[in-house]
Amino acid sequence: MFKKFTLEDISAQNQVKASVQRKIRQSIVDEYPSLEPLMDDLLPKKSPLIVAKCQNHLNLVSVNNVPLFFNIRDGPYMPTLRLLHQYPNIMKKLQVDRGAVKFVLSGANIMCPGLTSPGGALDDEVEEETPVAIMAEGKQHALAIGFTKMSAKNIRAINKGIGVDNMHYLNDGLWKV
Amino acid sequence: MAEKPEPVHVLYCQMCGLPAEYCEFGPDFEKCKPWLIQNAPDLYPDLLKEANDKQAEKVADQLQAVGISSSGDGGGAREGQADSSGSNAASKPEEVKRLPGGKIKKKDKQEVVIEKIVRNKRKSITVVKGLDLFGVKLSDASKKLGKKFATGASIVKGPTEKEQIDVQGDISYDIVEFITETWREVPESAIFFIEDGRKVPAA
Repeated sequence: MFKKFTLEDISAQNQVKASVQRKIRQSIVDEYPSLEPLMDDLLPKKSPLIVAKCQNHLNLVSVNNVPLFFNIRDGPYMPTLRLLHQYPNIMKKLQVDRGAVKFVLSGANIMCPGLTSPGGALDDEVEEETPVAIMAEGKQHALAIGFTKMSAKNIRAINKGIGVDNMHYLNDGLWKV
Repeated sequence: MAEKPEPVHVLYCQMCGLPAEYCEFGPDFEKCKPWLIQNAPDLYPDLLKEANDKQAEKVADQLQAVGISSSGDGGGAREGQADSSGSNAASKPEEVKRLPGGKIKKKDKQEVVIEKIVRNKRKSITVVKGLDLFGVKLSDASKKLGKKFATGASIVKGPTEKEQIDVQGDISYDIVEFITETWREVPESAIFFIEDGRKVPAA
Protein backbone atom coordinates (compact mmCIF):
# COMPACT_ATOMS: atom_id res chain seq x y z
CA MET A 1 0.00 0.00 0.00
CA PHE A 2 2.74 2.40 0.90
CA LYS A 3 5.16 1.02 -1.57
CA LYS A 4 5.38 4.19 -3.57
CA PHE A 5 4.21 6.60 -0.98
CA THR A 6 5.88 9.98 -0.86
CA LEU A 7 5.06 13.26 0.75
CA GLU A 8 3.78 14.50 -2.56
CA ASP A 9 0.96 12.02 -2.35
CA ILE A 10 -0.60 13.97 0.45
CA SER A 11 -3.41 15.78 -1.23
CA ALA A 12 -4.64 17.81 1.70
CA GLN A 13 -3.76 18.18 5.27
CA ASN A 14 -5.54 20.07 7.93
CA GLN A 15 -5.68 20.53 11.57
CA VAL A 16 -8.81 18.85 12.73
CA LYS A 17 -11.56 20.08 14.94
CA ALA A 18 -11.51 19.15 18.58
CA SER A 19 -14.54 16.98 18.12
CA VAL A 20 -12.95 15.03 15.31
CA GLN A 21 -9.82 14.81 17.36
CA ARG A 22 -11.77 13.29 20.19
CA LYS A 23 -13.35 10.80 17.84
CA ILE A 24 -9.99 9.73 16.49
CA ARG A 25 -8.62 9.32 19.97
CA GLN A 26 -11.61 7.31 20.99
CA SER A 27 -11.39 4.95 18.07
CA ILE A 28 -7.69 4.44 18.62
CA VAL A 29 -8.26 3.63 22.25
CA ASP A 30 -11.05 1.26 21.31
CA GLU A 31 -8.77 -0.52 18.92
CA TYR A 32 -5.75 -0.61 21.20
CA PRO A 33 -6.91 -0.53 24.82
CA SER A 34 -3.38 -0.90 26.10
CA LEU A 35 -2.50 2.42 24.56
CA GLU A 36 -4.92 4.27 26.74
CA PRO A 37 -2.49 5.43 29.42
CA LEU A 38 -0.20 6.61 26.67
CA MET A 39 -2.66 8.62 24.70
CA ASP A 40 -1.78 11.86 26.38
CA ASP A 41 1.84 11.37 25.42
CA LEU A 42 1.12 10.31 21.90
CA LEU A 43 -1.58 12.74 20.99
CA PRO A 44 -1.20 15.58 23.44
CA LYS A 45 -4.38 17.55 23.83
CA LYS A 46 -2.53 20.81 23.46
CA SER A 47 -0.59 20.27 20.30
CA PRO A 48 -2.55 20.28 17.09
CA LEU A 49 -3.52 17.02 15.53
CA ILE A 50 -3.09 16.99 11.82
CA VAL A 51 -4.89 14.66 9.50
CA ALA A 52 -3.37 14.31 6.10
CA LYS A 53 -5.51 12.96 3.36
CA CYS A 54 -3.83 10.98 0.66
CA GLN A 55 -4.86 9.05 -2.35
CA ASN A 56 -6.85 5.85 -2.03
CA HIS A 57 -8.90 7.19 0.85
CA LEU A 58 -5.93 7.04 3.11
CA ASN A 59 -5.65 9.19 6.18
CA LEU A 60 -2.55 9.86 8.18
CA VAL A 61 -2.82 11.11 11.71
CA SER A 62 0.25 13.03 12.68
CA VAL A 63 1.45 15.16 15.53
CA ASN A 64 4.38 17.50 15.10
CA ASN A 65 4.79 16.22 11.60
CA VAL A 66 5.40 12.69 12.75
CA PRO A 67 2.87 10.29 11.33
CA LEU A 68 1.54 8.12 14.11
CA PHE A 69 -1.51 6.38 12.77
CA PHE A 70 -3.11 5.69 9.46
CA ASN A 71 -6.39 4.32 8.26
CA ILE A 72 -8.21 3.61 5.09
CA ARG A 73 -11.68 4.88 4.44
CA ASP A 74 -13.38 4.40 7.78
CA GLY A 75 -11.30 1.38 8.69
CA PRO A 76 -9.50 0.89 11.95
CA TYR A 77 -6.58 3.08 12.82
CA MET A 78 -3.24 1.38 12.62
CA PRO A 79 -0.03 2.61 14.16
CA THR A 80 2.99 3.27 12.01
CA LEU A 81 5.89 0.92 12.48
CA ARG A 82 8.00 3.48 14.26
CA LEU A 83 5.32 3.82 16.85
CA LEU A 84 4.79 0.11 17.05
CA HIS A 85 8.49 -0.42 17.65
CA GLN A 86 8.24 1.78 20.67
CA TYR A 87 5.20 0.06 22.07
CA PRO A 88 5.34 -3.41 20.62
CA ASN A 89 2.65 -4.89 22.80
CA ILE A 90 -0.28 -2.86 21.66
CA MET A 91 -1.22 -5.17 18.83
CA LYS A 92 -1.74 -8.84 18.37
CA LYS A 93 1.25 -10.42 16.81
CA LEU A 94 1.72 -12.93 14.08
CA GLN A 95 5.09 -14.30 13.23
CA VAL A 96 6.37 -15.35 9.85
CA ASP A 97 9.27 -17.63 9.14
CA ARG A 98 12.62 -16.42 7.96
CA GLY A 99 12.03 -17.29 4.37
CA ALA A 100 9.11 -14.92 4.15
CA VAL A 101 10.90 -11.88 5.49
CA LYS A 102 12.44 -10.94 2.21
CA PHE A 103 9.14 -10.93 0.43
CA VAL A 104 7.26 -9.13 3.11
CA LEU A 105 9.89 -6.41 3.07
CA SER A 106 9.31 -5.89 -0.58
CA GLY A 107 5.63 -5.50 -0.01
CA ALA A 108 4.14 -8.94 -0.51
CA ASN A 109 1.05 -9.96 1.36
CA ILE A 110 1.56 -12.59 3.98
CA MET A 111 0.65 -16.04 2.81
CA CYS A 112 -0.70 -18.65 5.15
CA PRO A 113 2.12 -21.18 4.89
CA GLY A 114 4.61 -18.61 6.16
CA LEU A 115 2.58 -18.26 9.31
CA THR A 116 1.91 -21.92 9.94
CA SER A 117 5.39 -23.25 9.26
CA PRO A 118 7.69 -24.07 12.20
CA GLY A 119 9.24 -20.62 12.06
CA GLY A 120 5.91 -18.88 12.23
CA ALA A 121 3.54 -18.31 15.09
CA LEU A 122 -0.13 -17.58 15.25
CA ASP A 123 -2.19 -15.98 17.93
CA ASP A 124 -5.37 -18.00 17.93
CA GLU A 125 -7.46 -15.12 19.14
CA VAL A 126 -6.93 -13.14 15.99
CA GLU A 127 -10.12 -12.68 14.05
CA GLU A 128 -10.40 -11.74 10.43
CA GLU A 129 -10.22 -8.11 9.41
CA THR A 130 -8.13 -6.97 12.32
CA PRO A 131 -4.87 -5.11 12.25
CA VAL A 132 -1.93 -7.18 13.43
CA ALA A 133 1.78 -6.75 13.84
CA ILE A 134 3.90 -9.02 11.72
CA MET A 135 6.99 -10.24 13.50
CA ALA A 136 9.76 -12.32 12.04
CA GLU A 137 11.41 -15.48 13.20
CA GLY A 138 14.37 -14.68 15.40
CA LYS A 139 13.79 -10.92 15.42
CA GLN A 140 12.57 -8.71 18.20
CA HIS A 141 10.88 -6.00 16.24
CA ALA A 142 7.94 -5.98 13.94
CA LEU A 143 8.63 -5.81 10.25
CA ALA A 144 5.19 -5.04 8.96
CA ILE A 145 1.66 -4.16 9.87
CA GLY A 146 -1.03 -6.22 8.34
CA PHE A 147 -4.75 -6.57 8.14
CA THR A 148 -5.95 -10.12 8.45
CA LYS A 149 -7.99 -11.60 5.66
CA MET A 150 -8.84 -14.77 7.58
CA SER A 151 -9.11 -15.58 11.23
CA ALA A 152 -6.17 -17.37 12.77
CA LYS A 153 -8.13 -20.60 12.85
CA ASN A 154 -8.89 -20.37 9.20
CA ILE A 155 -5.29 -19.62 8.39
CA ARG A 156 -4.34 -22.81 10.11
CA ALA A 157 -7.11 -24.81 8.51
CA ILE A 158 -6.90 -23.53 4.95
CA ASN A 159 -3.18 -22.91 4.92
CA LYS A 160 -3.23 -21.52 1.45
CA GLY A 161 -3.25 -18.11 -0.15
CA ILE A 162 -3.20 -14.71 1.41
CA GLY A 163 -3.64 -14.75 5.16
CA VAL A 164 -2.81 -11.18 5.96
CA ASP A 165 -2.75 -8.13 3.78
CA ASN A 166 0.46 -6.21 4.05
CA MET A 167 -0.36 -2.63 4.94
CA HIS A 168 2.85 -1.06 5.96
CA TYR A 169 6.31 -2.60 6.07
CA LEU A 170 9.85 -1.63 6.87
CA ASN A 171 11.45 0.62 4.33
CA ASP A 172 8.31 1.37 2.41
CA GLY A 173 7.22 4.85 1.53
CA LEU A 174 5.58 5.65 4.82
CA TRP A 175 8.54 4.34 6.77
CA LYS A 176 10.84 6.71 4.99
CA VAL A 177 8.68 9.74 5.58
CA MET B 1 -3.31 -1.18 32.74
CA ALA B 2 -2.73 1.69 35.09
CA GLU B 3 0.97 1.39 34.58
CA LYS B 4 2.47 3.18 31.67
CA PRO B 5 4.48 0.94 29.43
CA GLU B 6 7.81 2.52 28.70
CA PRO B 7 8.63 3.17 25.09
CA VAL B 8 11.08 0.64 23.81
CA HIS B 9 14.20 2.09 22.43
CA VAL B 10 14.90 0.58 19.07
CA LEU B 11 18.29 0.71 17.50
CA TYR B 12 17.98 1.95 13.96
CA CYS B 13 20.77 1.53 11.49
CA GLN B 14 22.12 4.85 10.36
CA MET B 15 22.84 3.55 6.93
CA CYS B 16 19.54 2.14 5.86
CA GLY B 17 17.22 3.35 8.60
CA LEU B 18 15.92 -0.08 9.42
CA PRO B 19 16.10 -1.59 12.86
CA ALA B 20 19.58 -3.02 13.10
CA GLU B 21 18.39 -6.59 13.04
CA TYR B 22 16.76 -6.11 9.65
CA CYS B 23 19.83 -4.72 7.95
CA GLU B 24 20.50 -8.08 6.42
CA PHE B 25 17.26 -7.74 4.49
CA GLY B 26 17.83 -4.08 3.75
CA PRO B 27 18.74 -2.48 0.47
CA ASP B 28 22.45 -2.56 1.04
CA PHE B 29 23.69 -4.85 3.72
CA GLU B 30 27.31 -4.42 2.73
CA LYS B 31 27.23 -0.76 3.51
CA CYS B 32 25.59 -1.33 6.85
CA LYS B 33 28.22 -3.77 7.94
CA PRO B 34 30.81 -1.36 9.30
CA TRP B 35 28.18 0.44 11.27
CA LEU B 36 26.74 -2.79 12.57
CA ILE B 37 30.09 -4.03 13.75
CA GLN B 38 30.51 -0.90 15.77
CA ASN B 39 27.03 -0.46 17.12
CA ALA B 40 25.33 -3.80 17.25
CA PRO B 41 28.00 -6.44 17.36
CA ASP B 42 25.88 -8.93 19.23
CA LEU B 43 23.22 -9.05 16.51
CA TYR B 44 25.48 -10.48 13.88
CA PRO B 45 28.17 -12.58 15.53
CA ASP B 46 29.34 -13.80 12.16
CA LEU B 47 30.11 -10.31 11.02
CA LEU B 48 32.24 -9.59 14.00
CA LYS B 49 34.23 -12.69 13.39
CA GLU B 50 34.68 -11.74 9.79
CA ALA B 51 35.83 -8.29 10.72
CA ASN B 52 38.24 -9.62 13.29
CA ASP B 53 39.68 -11.97 10.77
CA LYS B 54 40.13 -9.15 8.34
CA GLN B 55 41.75 -6.99 10.90
CA ALA B 56 44.08 -9.75 11.94
CA GLU B 57 45.01 -10.21 8.34
CA LYS B 58 45.67 -6.56 7.92
CA VAL B 59 47.86 -6.43 10.96
CA ALA B 60 49.72 -9.45 9.76
CA ASP B 61 50.14 -7.81 6.39
CA GLN B 62 51.48 -4.71 7.91
CA LEU B 63 53.86 -6.61 10.07
CA GLN B 64 55.07 -8.45 7.07
CA ALA B 65 55.42 -5.27 5.10
CA VAL B 66 57.50 -3.70 7.80
CA GLY B 67 59.58 -6.81 8.03
CA ILE B 68 60.28 -6.95 4.34
CA SER B 69 60.64 -3.27 3.61
CA SER B 70 63.87 -3.25 5.48
CA SER B 71 65.13 -5.90 3.12
CA GLY B 72 64.41 -4.16 -0.17
CA ASP B 73 62.03 -3.19 -2.98
CA GLY B 74 59.54 -6.06 -2.57
CA GLY B 75 58.39 -4.48 0.66
CA GLY B 76 57.41 -1.29 -1.05
CA ALA B 77 54.74 -3.01 -3.10
CA ARG B 78 53.39 -4.76 -0.07
CA GLU B 79 53.22 -1.59 1.85
CA GLY B 80 51.30 0.02 -0.94
CA GLN B 81 48.78 -2.78 -0.75
CA ALA B 82 48.26 -2.40 2.92
CA ASP B 83 47.83 1.31 2.45
CA SER B 84 45.28 0.96 -0.28
CA SER B 85 43.19 -1.42 1.76
CA GLY B 86 43.31 1.07 4.59
CA SER B 87 42.13 3.91 2.42
CA ASN B 88 39.37 1.69 1.09
CA ALA B 89 37.98 1.24 4.52
CA ALA B 90 38.20 4.96 5.11
CA SER B 91 36.44 5.91 1.90
CA LYS B 92 33.57 3.52 2.45
CA PRO B 93 31.57 5.52 4.93
CA GLU B 94 31.97 8.60 2.79
CA GLU B 95 30.48 6.89 -0.18
CA VAL B 96 27.53 5.82 1.87
CA LYS B 97 26.96 9.30 3.07
CA ARG B 98 26.98 10.65 -0.41
CA LEU B 99 24.28 8.30 -1.61
CA PRO B 100 21.42 9.51 0.53
CA GLY B 101 22.76 13.04 0.14
CA GLY B 102 22.59 12.68 -3.60
CA LYS B 103 19.00 11.61 -3.39
CA ILE B 104 18.07 14.59 -1.32
CA LYS B 105 19.85 16.91 -3.68
CA LYS B 106 17.87 15.57 -6.55
CA LYS B 107 14.69 16.52 -4.80
CA ASP B 108 15.89 19.96 -3.92
CA LYS B 109 16.56 21.04 -7.45
CA GLN B 110 16.64 24.75 -7.58
CA GLU B 111 13.50 25.80 -9.27
CA VAL B 112 10.55 28.02 -8.66
CA VAL B 113 7.20 26.45 -9.28
CA ILE B 114 4.20 28.62 -9.82
CA GLU B 115 0.76 27.18 -9.59
CA LYS B 116 -2.60 28.79 -10.00
CA ILE B 117 -5.35 27.37 -7.88
CA VAL B 118 -8.88 28.33 -8.66
CA ARG B 119 -10.64 28.93 -5.44
CA ASN B 120 -14.09 30.05 -6.31
CA LYS B 121 -14.77 30.25 -10.02
CA ARG B 122 -13.47 33.74 -10.56
CA LYS B 123 -11.15 33.86 -7.64
CA SER B 124 -7.81 32.23 -7.60
CA ILE B 125 -4.65 31.94 -5.63
CA THR B 126 -1.17 31.85 -7.08
CA VAL B 127 1.19 29.62 -5.18
CA VAL B 128 4.90 30.22 -5.48
CA LYS B 129 7.08 27.37 -4.33
CA GLY B 130 10.80 27.07 -4.08
CA LEU B 131 11.90 30.67 -3.78
CA ASP B 132 13.72 29.77 -0.59
CA LEU B 133 15.96 27.44 -2.54
CA PHE B 134 17.55 30.48 -4.11
CA GLY B 135 18.28 31.99 -0.75
CA VAL B 136 15.40 34.43 -0.95
CA LYS B 137 13.89 35.38 2.34
CA LEU B 138 10.28 34.34 2.11
CA SER B 139 8.97 36.98 4.44
CA ASP B 140 10.57 39.65 2.31
CA ALA B 141 9.36 38.02 -0.83
CA SER B 142 5.77 37.83 0.30
CA LYS B 143 5.83 41.47 1.29
CA LYS B 144 7.20 42.49 -2.06
CA LEU B 145 4.73 40.37 -3.93
CA GLY B 146 1.89 41.77 -1.92
CA LYS B 147 3.00 45.31 -2.57
CA LYS B 148 3.55 44.80 -6.24
CA PHE B 149 0.24 43.15 -6.94
CA ALA B 150 -1.70 44.94 -4.24
CA THR B 151 -3.06 41.75 -2.81
CA GLY B 152 -2.58 39.56 0.18
CA ALA B 153 0.50 37.41 0.07
CA SER B 154 1.29 35.07 2.88
CA ILE B 155 3.74 32.39 3.73
CA VAL B 156 2.04 29.08 4.10
CA LYS B 157 3.44 25.80 5.22
CA GLY B 158 3.04 23.46 2.34
CA PRO B 159 2.33 19.78 2.54
CA THR B 160 5.94 18.74 2.79
CA GLU B 161 7.10 20.99 5.56
CA LYS B 162 8.22 23.39 2.91
CA GLU B 163 7.13 26.93 2.95
CA GLN B 164 5.45 28.50 0.02
CA ILE B 165 3.95 31.85 -0.72
CA ASP B 166 0.27 32.14 -1.44
CA VAL B 167 -0.68 35.24 -3.34
CA GLN B 168 -4.29 36.13 -3.76
CA GLY B 169 -5.49 36.56 -7.28
CA ASP B 170 -4.21 35.31 -10.57
CA ILE B 171 -0.88 36.96 -11.06
CA SER B 172 0.73 34.32 -13.18
CA TYR B 173 0.89 36.74 -16.13
CA ASP B 174 3.61 38.93 -14.74
CA ILE B 175 5.00 37.13 -11.82
CA VAL B 176 7.78 35.62 -13.88
CA GLU B 177 9.06 39.00 -14.90
CA PHE B 178 8.74 40.26 -11.39
CA ILE B 179 10.69 37.38 -9.93
CA THR B 180 13.50 37.57 -12.41
CA GLU B 181 13.76 41.30 -11.97
CA THR B 182 13.65 41.47 -8.20
CA TRP B 183 15.84 38.47 -7.57
CA ARG B 184 18.54 38.40 -10.15
CA GLU B 185 19.81 35.08 -8.90
CA VAL B 186 16.69 33.32 -10.14
CA PRO B 187 17.06 32.53 -13.83
CA GLU B 188 13.99 32.46 -15.98
CA SER B 189 14.80 28.92 -16.98
CA ALA B 190 14.31 27.78 -13.41
CA ILE B 191 10.75 28.99 -13.25
CA PHE B 192 8.00 26.56 -14.00
CA PHE B 193 4.26 26.74 -14.24
CA ILE B 194 1.97 23.93 -13.36
CA GLU B 195 -0.71 23.54 -15.97
CA ASP B 196 -3.14 20.66 -15.82
CA GLY B 197 -0.84 18.93 -13.38
CA ARG B 198 2.11 19.18 -15.73
CA LYS B 199 5.19 21.25 -15.31
CA VAL B 200 5.65 23.76 -18.07
CA PRO B 201 8.73 25.94 -18.23
CA ALA B 202 7.84 29.59 -18.09
CA ALA B 203 10.47 30.75 -20.52
